[in-house]
Amino acid sequence: MTLFTKSDCSLCNQLKAVFDLEAMNVNIEELDKGGAASLAHLAWHGLVDDARKRLPLLVLDDCSTLTDFDQIREALAARAGQVPDAASCVTEPGAGCATGACSL
Amino acid sequence: MPLAAGEKQDSRLTGNDSTDLALFVRTTGEDITGWDRQRIVDALLRETLVDRGTAERISLEIEETVKKGAIRTITGPLIREMVNSKLLELGLEDARRMHTRLGVPLYDVEQLLVQHNKENANVPHGPEATNLTLAEGIKKEYALLKVFTDDVADAHLKGDLHLHDLGFIDRPYCSGQSLEYIKKFGLNLPHALSMAAPARHADVLLAHMVKFAAALQSHFAGAIGWDAVNLFYAPYLEELSDREVRQLAQMMIYEFSQQAVARGGQAIFSDINIYWEVPKHFENVPAIGPGGEYTGKTYGEYEKQAQRFAWALFEIYREGDAAGRPFFFPKPLVHITEKFFRTEGHEEFLELICAVAAEKGNTYFVFDRGDTAKISECCRLSFKLEESDLEDAREPWKMRYSALQNITVNLPRIAYRAKGDDTRLFALLTEQMELAVKGHEQKRRFIEKLLNMGENGPLSMLAMKLDGQTYLRMHRVSHLIGMTGLNEMVKAHTGEELHESDEAMKFGLKVIAHMNIVCNRLGEDTGLKLVLEQTPAESTAYRFAKLDLAHYPDQAREMLQGNLEAGEVYYTNSTLYNVGAPMGPITRVEREGLFHPLIEAGSITHVWLGEHQPDAKALADFVVKTFRFTNNDQIAFSPEFTSCIDCGRTARGLTDTCTFCGSDHVDGITRITGYFTRISSWNKGKLGELKDRYRNRFGD
Repeated sequence: MTLFTKSDCSLCNQLKAVFDLEAMNVNIEELDKGGAASLAHLAWHGLVDDARKRLPLLVLDDCSTLTDFDQIREALAARAGQVPDAASCVTEPGAGCATGACSL
Repeated sequence: MPLAAGEKQDSRLTGNDSTDLALFVRTTGEDITGWDRQRIVDALLRETLVDRGTAERISLEIEETVKKGAIRTITGPLIREMVNSKLLELGLEDARRMHTRLGVPLYDVEQLLVQHNKENANVPHGPEATNLTLAEGIKKEYALLKVFTDDVADAHLKGDLHLHDLGFIDRPYCSGQSLEYIKKFGLNLPHALSMAAPARHADVLLAHMVKFAAALQSHFAGAIGWDAVNLFYAPYLEELSDREVRQLAQMMIYEFSQQAVARGGQAIFSDINIYWEVPKHFENVPAIGPGGEYTGKTYGEYEKQAQRFAWALFEIYREGDAAGRPFFFPKPLVHITEKFFRTEGHEEFLELICAVAAEKGNTYFVFDRGDTAKISECCRLSFKLEESDLEDAREPWKMRYSALQNITVNLPRIAYRAKGDDTRLFALLTEQMELAVKGHEQKRRFIEKLLNMGENGPLSMLAMKLDGQTYLRMHRVSHLIGMTGLNEMVKAHTGEELHESDEAMKFGLKVIAHMNIVCNRLGEDTGLKLVLEQTPAESTAYRFAKLDLAHYPDQAREMLQGNLEAGEVYYTNSTLYNVGAPMGPITRVEREGLFHPLIEAGSITHVWLGEHQPDAKALADFVVKTFRFTNNDQIAFSPEFTSCIDCGRTARGLTDTCTFCGSDHVDGITRITGYFTRISSWNKGKLGELKDRYRNRFGD
């Protein structure tokens, strides 16, 4: 599982605050910090144009992609359920982007 | 050495002796004059920064040399070269540079006059083309000496970079605009012998369009693109019958495809953007009609008329020319959008344009997904419309876009120099891109200088301000950074070509991602709009290959594509996969398409068809799937033809003899990079590529 994020993306930060992504074995790609490798990884999954519209994006283990925030949250919550203490609380459905920076 | 005081000069040189032994100088001013040493002094003082004493000294030394040589007639260029030699002897390199004479050796001119120059397959062989080549040769030299600094010029000469269209140094690269400018302002060009008011009839509008395109061709190096042609024509079509609309479509295509009377005998590299639907950004725009007057309707109300014209254009494309050959120009670029699929009649139109693609190959499919809108032109270039551009769409005559210059990076060479070291490879790539940006800044300064001379300057047409802004809107121009040979770079660095493994492909993506990031960063640093473009590389792929063979022979021999023994060598264009890789069209379109979102100024995937003629419905299905399920920016299908020069008939596929009359007086026709042309005009590299192309079949 890979979560594509950006450091100033408020929706991304909500997820990072709630879930222990490392413990859940979720790979985090921070697109503003990861340089060419992160951008190439994004392109490999065919998600560059999606990322220009919205972040975060989640690529599942079967290589399918979730772009809707609520669906991403649910998928992570389901994964967290398999890992003890991986989620500290539950985010509100439909949370909006507070900073306007939730895109590439 | 200066003559000593009182020393007597040779009478042949002073001209005091009026015998036929007097020395004459054949000057570049087309006359013959007597020897005058002062002319050397004057030229040195006028053109360089040497002091008078040095100029005098040089002139006397030249005079002495000439005297000893017992020469009867000496040419101006020879004297200049002798002076240059003296300047070098004195260590005055800068002065020598300033005193340089640009010109062409006699032998080269003879060769040019009789042999076809194949640098650009769109340039025919003839006196106009020779003029073009000679003029380009001088301007190239000028550009490398005066416009660009030594480091940039040397990078071009060595083959690290390719500065495109150096022979057109005093023009921007290409232009995209809408018909609205001439609909609103008429044909009103600076210094023209007459001025035409806005057209009142469709055929007059066509005449204005063609003439304006020719005028633009003489002010831009490359393609001239027109946005939403069928839509902007629509207000002129309401009173016309279907037959008249078809006639107009026929005239438009023939006018552009036969206009081999313009610059250098070239047909104008012209593109017409076509929409089946009315693009969202034009829906509520007041339409301009006959006489440049608003019709009282919006363009949204002209959908049916626009569709009628689009349909007629593609019927003509489907017929081909009088010999059944595909039209080379204007290239029709059909935009496939979300709204396209919601617009009535799109299934039938898609089938028609796919039939044209299958039978003649003309159709370009441009994919504008989501809210993307763009103007496309050239071999794959597109100008993505930003928020401010969509504002301009309310007054569409303002929508004028230009790329000022294109500079391409030789990617395989970077891999040769990096010798397997990742860090060095990316550092070198950054370094080359920085040098390319430096070149962009220098060209921009030069164009600005010419443009600032206004209506009496050489770019008066681009400086005209009919709508209050100069025609060339410098604040909107883009600067292209291209790439050639990603496939060979990846092979040299990882041992595998792009199609051979996921790891190779991922490394290729990392290279282009790096270029994307560096491009954005350098754009922020310089304030220039810098964008990546897939270089068409019609001649660049061949030039880089030849130069690498000379400078990096051991590595290049292993990496080059083509036939080394025949000299038909090339690098794979831009980010394309090896053209000979045996892969299905879906895989190629999908995999090559992964690069496209990183290359913002345009990308394309070619599907080579050879003699195979697929079913139009199968192609339509393919196009829809490409739009829905891939990132691919643009696709084109390329069939091949054999045209008989003796019987005038055209057959499918490439053959050595005519299938109708058996004559071997034939020429092949197919797409070279982004346009169709005769194969006999191709350079050796492209001929090598043609032999390697893997032809796809649909439905097998």
